[in-house]
Amino acid sequence: MMSLKSSVGPSLAGKACHGANAQVLPRMAVPAPLAGTAVRPSLAVNAVNPEKNGAYEGSPIVSGPISVGAMDKDSKGSSKPVDRSKGLWTRCDKCGVILYIKHLKEHHHICFGCNYHLKMSSQERIDHMIDPGSWRPFDETLSPCDPLDFVDMKPYPDRVRDSQDKTGMNDAIRTGTGLLHGIPVALAVMEFGFMGGSMGSVVGEKLTRLIEYATQEGLTLLVVCTSGGARMQEGIMSLMQMAKISGALHVHQNEANLLYISILTSPTTGGVTASFGMLGDVIIAEPQAIIGFAGRRVIEQTLREELPDDFQTAEYLLDKGLLDLVVPRSFLKGALFEIIDFYKNAPYKRRGKIPFGVQRGTYGLTAEEKMRRRWREWSSAGSNGSGTPALAAAAADPSYQDLVASFQQVCSSAAESLTPGELDVADLVKEPAALNDAVSISRDSVIEWMEAQEALLGKKEQQQPEFVFRVKPATYSGRAV
Amino acid sequence: MALAQGLTKRAGGVRSASVSRRTVNPVRCSVFSAKNAAQRSAEVGREWLETILSRFGPATDRAQNITTLDFEKPLSELDKRIKEVRKVAEENGVDVSSQIGELESRAQQLRKETYSRLTPTQRLQVARHPNRPTCLDIILNITDKFVELHGDRAGLDDPAIVCGIGSMDGVSFMFIGHQKGRNTKENIRRNFGMPQPNGYRKAMRFMRHANKFGLPIVTFVDTPGAYAGKKAEELGQGEAIAYNLREMFGLRVPVISVVIGEGGSGGALAIGCANKNLIMENSVYYVASPEACAAILWKSRSASNQATEALRITADQLVRLEVMDEVIPEPLGGAHSDPVAAFPAIKAAILSTFRHYEPMSEREIQLDRYQKFRKLGQFEEWVVRGADWRNVRSERASAAGVQTDAGTWALNEAEAAYIESSVNADEAWDATLVEKADWTNKPVQPPGLGRSGVMEMAVSMVEARRRKQAAAGSRSTAPAPAAAAKQEAAV
Repeated sequence: MMSLKSSVGPSLAGKACHGANAQVLPRMAVPAPLAGTAVRPSLAVNAVNPEKNGAYEGSPIVSGPISVGAMDKDSKGSSKPVDRSKGLWTRCDKCGVILYIKHLKEHHHICFGCNYHLKMSSQERIDHMIDPGSWRPFDETLSPCDPLDFVDMKPYPDRVRDSQDKTGMNDAIRTGTGLLHGIPVALAVMEFGFMGGSMGSVVGEKLTRLIEYATQEGLTLLVVCTSGGARMQEGIMSLMQMAKISGALHVHQNEANLLYISILTSPTTGGVTASFGMLGDVIIAEPQAIIGFAGRRVIEQTLREELPDDFQTAEYLLDKGLLDLVVPRSFLKGALFEIIDFYKNAPYKRRGKIPFGVQRGTYGLTAEEKMRRRWREWSSAGSNGSGTPALAAAAADPSYQDLVASFQQVCSSAAESLTPGELDVADLVKEPAALNDAVSISRDSVIEWMEAQEALLGKKEQQQPEFVFRVKPATYSGRAV
Repeated sequence: MALAQGLTKRAGGVRSASVSRRTVNPVRCSVFSAKNAAQRSAEVGREWLETILSRFGPATDRAQNITTLDFEKPLSELDKRIKEVRKVAEENGVDVSSQIGELESRAQQLRKETYSRLTPTQRLQVARHPNRPTCLDIILNITDKFVELHGDRAGLDDPAIVCGIGSMDGVSFMFIGHQKGRNTKENIRRNFGMPQPNGYRKAMRFMRHANKFGLPIVTFVDTPGAYAGKKAEELGQGEAIAYNLREMFGLRVPVISVVIGEGGSGGALAIGCANKNLIMENSVYYVASPEACAAILWKSRSASNQATEALRITADQLVRLEVMDEVIPEPLGGAHSDPVAAFPAIKAAILSTFRHYEPMSEREIQLDRYQKFRKLGQFEEWVVRGADWRNVRSERASAAGVQTDAGTWALNEAEAAYIESSVNADEAWDATLVEKADWTNKPVQPPGLGRSGVMEMAVSMVEARRRKQAAAGSRSTAPAPAAAAKQEAAV
């Protein structure tokens, strides 16, 4: 049996990167134990346990691999996510063939009968794409509030609690960094099981923080999108998250010249398509994924005409020029490796610039811990006896010198009462009481300091000319300039 | 030229019947027909000019088109009665000025009461009022000069979005806005203010144009949302909006957005990522129309009123949520009843906002726009189950808590362990990242932020010292700051 569960590697990725259609995939041989249970779908209808297959009940069964559109329209993109974590077997949403859960997990949740890509949870996607043991999650504790005190059929807090209990996550996205075949990437994966993947304040904030981090460190950004749209219970705040994320992406893509690959999975609709989903430098979609802006029913009501069956599928968008690639899930990791490898070897790669004031600040519960650990480093180094301990320890590190120099500049400009040079970092380290105040007001003073520094930089920019023509050397070493 | 060639081709220059008599040769006609010809050509010219200008002139059927909302009916009836009384008094020569005065003051009182206590549903109706001034109405009345420009240079023009350059008080601005129609025929032409992807690309082209030439941008938002159609999806409606959202953060000129009617979700935000968001008193801005929200969340369209109340779409609620910056007051009775009085308020608001940005540098303007949106969003840093953040906050404030090894406060052991493990993971990742430097393309950053956290800590210490000094200085007569600092250090 051809096993595609382990990472495919670069050699097979080439096959996938030409917009391969789902039908072109090699069919996996059915393992012996399952062969006997390959049911005739017409007999299986009566044997279906309605509790296990909530989204499946209304759909007619068709045997064998089928083209998109032969199924009833309502069964596409199931409204109720089927819980596949419990139980031994499930059915494919499209063709109805019986799938063992364990086998499904091994084959990246792709139905062997029709190659339909079933929905994966966000943790499964991370395990699929990131090298084991290298995943570092960000901001896991960020939780939603109720900005509008929204009550529809059920109060919003109750809906949030139910989703949190069901999925075990605090909101609809997982962000973090990890290695993808050894490439450091910043990855965000949305979770459709949490209120339909709807984008609220927490999704916006987590994604913005991740983008700012990726910009600061120069990492490639990958976002796996799956969403029903903006979260209506958070009202206008959800809408503003679209703008917030797009602003961070502007800095990442235009100012810092970094790569952003968006991976669209089924379904991706509404606010996500209208913001970060369609902003990738490279947009990859999964085969037969439903991707669109307005809902299909809304368009049908507006126009009162029949839409084609493959409307708003990935292949349809590829045909209309809105996507770059349609890559089946089994080839996805290898394809991503190859694509990012191309960009690494770009001979005229330019180093970008982060404009002032948009760097990632220090957030979360970990900020204070990091500060305190560094404080401890410095003070323990100081107690060893040298006059300027921190400086001596980091003398070789040029960034630290710049750090101290700019810090002294700020002090000289902002606080005229204190003479420059008097505020040595080592000097400050001797004041234990200052640290508690520092930690408590650190977040407030960041913006203030940024404004002060901006005034400095403004003066500097006027002195230095912005455009300098430099002749490129005839031979390049292949490294980024 | 073609005519002349045609003439010379044939022998003797005789005109054949196939040549069209576009221009009449005045010499060959009699005087009578010459005058007719001149008149006719003048008429043709005037008709042509009128067809162009009629798009901007007053709508001819406006008088029959005045709509009254249901909560305005008592007001309009009172006004009608006053008019009738006045007419009867004129006809009969009776002096009824005292009763008229009483009626008028009652009408005024009623108007004030109604319009000061508008419910969100009523405000939504006013925002969607068919007689509300549209984008072009406002632009043509607040500018000294205005020229409308067209096209996305990619094959299409969109009538739902209007772009042009105008001048207010001698300062040139780029105006971009959603245009609704003033009657049914115009609405169909303007697609009810619902732009297609080509409209957004047209808007983006003009924003780049303004960026290139240094024109501040003023956008007028008045749309039910982006058009949902098959052709729109094929042209990339989502992509057009997303591109606008991203590129607007790269503009180096101030962008001022005024919501003059309803602001519908992404379709409005695509030209609304501004430095300052102004909103008229009775305008609304929503993430999904109340009807759509009711259909999805309440499973029936009849719950639209509940949805309107719950979504918090009115101007004052939006300012409270800090999404909008300023409310522009409308004349009593709404902008639709007295548009001429509404225009000066809009102009004054736009100009005063612009003056605020005049002394700023480009980078400051970009940073201002970025920070405006960066701070939006309500969330909690620590785990809160079921959005119960008030209780969790009071718990955390009152709990004794534990400390991590380094001294960070945590609510309980689990959280302390989580904090330590995640910081360990961060440090391990930093070590990994050092090896992988050739896969990263680290951008140039402003000096001092090489390692996150260190600068903030150092600056905070300076800040803390400065505040202590200020406190000490206010308590006693100002001592020498250096001495005070040394004293603090000694303590």
